[in-house]
Amino acid sequence: MREKLEKLGLNLPLLPITTVGSFPKPPYLIDARRKFATKLLGAEELKKLEDQATREWVALQEKIGLDVLVDGEMYRGDMATYFAQNLGGFKISGPVRSYGNRYYRKPIITGEVKWRGPITVDWWKFAQKLTKRPVKGMITGPYTMMDWSFNEYYPSRRDACLDLAKTLHEEVVALSNAGAKIIQIDEPALSVRPEELSGFVGEAMRMVTRGINAYFIIHCCYGAFEFIYPQMLDLPVDNFDLEMSNSELDLVELFHKYPFTKDMSFGVVDVHSHIVEDVGLVKKRIQQALEILEPEQLWIDPDCGLKTRTREETIGKLQAIVGATKEVRKLLGEG
Amino acid sequence: MEILTASTGSYPRIGDSPEQQRHRQAYAQRERGEISDDEFERIQDEVTREVIEEQIRAGLDLVTDGQVRWYDPISHFTRKLGGCELDGLLRFFDTNFYFRQPVIKEELEWRGPIAKREFTFAKGVSPKPVKPVVTGPYTLAKLSINRRGGSFQSLVDEFAEVIAQEVKELAGAGAELIQMDEPAILKNPNDFPAFQGAIEKVAAGKGDARLALYTYFGDAAPLYGKLLKLPVDALGFDFTYSPSLPVVVAKLGCEKDLGLGLIDGRNTRLEIEREVLAVLKTILPNVGSERVFINPSCGLGEYLPREIAFKKLQNMVAIVEKVRGLT
Repeated sequence: MREKLEKLGLNLPLLPITTVGSFPKPPYLIDARRKFATKLLGAEELKKLEDQATREWVALQEKIGLDVLVDGEMYRGDMATYFAQNLGGFKISGPVRSYGNRYYRKPIITGEVKWRGPITVDWWKFAQKLTKRPVKGMITGPYTMMDWSFNEYYPSRRDACLDLAKTLHEEVVALSNAGAKIIQIDEPALSVRPEELSGFVGEAMRMVTRGINAYFIIHCCYGAFEFIYPQMLDLPVDNFDLEMSNSELDLVELFHKYPFTKDMSFGVVDVHSHIVEDVGLVKKRIQQALEILEPEQLWIDPDCGLKTRTREETIGKLQAIVGATKEVRKLLGEG
Repeated sequence: MEILTASTGSYPRIGDSPEQQRHRQAYAQRERGEISDDEFERIQDEVTREVIEEQIRAGLDLVTDGQVRWYDPISHFTRKLGGCELDGLLRFFDTNFYFRQPVIKEELEWRGPIAKREFTFAKGVSPKPVKPVVTGPYTLAKLSINRRGGSFQSLVDEFAEVIAQEVKELAGAGAELIQMDEPAILKNPNDFPAFQGAIEKVAAGKGDARLALYTYFGDAAPLYGKLLKLPVDALGFDFTYSPSLPVVVAKLGCEKDLGLGLIDGRNTRLEIEREVLAVLKTILPNVGSERVFINPSCGLGEYLPREIAFKKLQNMVAIVEKVRGLT
């Protein structure tokens, strides 16, 4: 897909380094969000601090040496709830248990889902103005929005998913019109019901991406990869972002049987672990990826969003990724 | 035929009102070491009493303790076993709820009753009959990581011994009906022989109690005929995954008691009376069950906000009153 990137005017180095999307919020922002929730702080003050935190993360990503940046999602709480709050047709539920003593508020689809105007576009523009490197546009995908919401309106999961796809397509159009050339669709729920992948996920993805001249990345977690491969290669996206360091799958065997035909963002650090991987380990994981993929197919990133790690752990993990990727580029005769 | 309304297991332990925050606050206080384990246990007793009262207020004939003390259905039964440790969190089937995954290191050792005290407490405070729930041996084995080697079959058999002990203890403590959950078999029909052996082992120890086998989070229609032959007294099904199940049940009939999970335990949308009645009209004239339980498709505690859980149960009871009027 290097050709497509070049056509889009993106001159990325071999093994482009990126992240999945979220970064930890600085303590001042966590505090401000808490105050905002109890009406002790106004929306404008909160926004100022979100801007500040976004600026800090964009600068840090440049400094560490990432190639494709993200805005860091300083303005988001839960990734599904954030979009639900900004689309028409949703309500937010009372607390639902997630695990242990953790609860979250889940979106409820109560009417026809509608796009009321750009959701993430201003944030994308804000971040892109801060850097010359490309910033990814980021949306939560229709399947995950459907699976992570209660549905009181649509007769079936399929109907809900397809209408969400139609709605999110408008957000993708707005991102593309604003100038976003790389757009990531987050679909961590993608593998929960493998039978639906062949059923309607492809149709939904085609609706989201139709007619848009952009390089599309789909982020899905490890889940039941073995059940949805190779059908998932049919999805109309250019790059699959997969959690790899946390998986024990024998991809060599799998890809030997069914060659991987798209690009892959290969997760090389575990976002659930406090331990910062060293360059040697990350390098080994990249080299493993190169056993199954051509260098031109491969992007390097962490397994998932880093928001649950500390700032120091995040920086440490990203530095290890950059250090290791640079060494591998040298071995490949680049950089 | 007796038609009863029942709980399928868990019930939300917190809600939106200030007094419904107690469990969450106490949990956090215990984690910070601000209250003792005994104090936390006392609060869990109170919340248990409260959720039992709420189920009865909704109109249920058969309640549970709401599983207020369970971290999750898997680690609750493995935490106290010898030979087993708990690992990280893993998604529970296709839900957004996470369980701690057991890692099997050695031969399993049952060190004493796990569910008995919870049941005895609930029975003591509930004016209505209480149904204890256990997770079945096959599902426990299937969701564990086996690090000790040996066959999957032998792990299923060992879990069967553990759960047989639990069932025996519950029967001894006066449980009339014990629900055993085996959701994992639906997506793994090829394991049926191992599953069947385990169910037989548990059933052998039930004494005077009646054993109800419940499955959910999948389509039970393909396995229905085989499940009918198992030595259990009742079968419970999740109808939300399975458009063909009512017809399959009607066709093959049922001489066991039935648990009909016609109320979607994972969606806030309230059931529409005529849709539920249509399914009942297909099933009821074609089964010889002495008792039919109308219940949610799964426990509600991990999947619904509390005020919706209550409304769903109330709505279910209202629909069942209609059915009773018709028969």
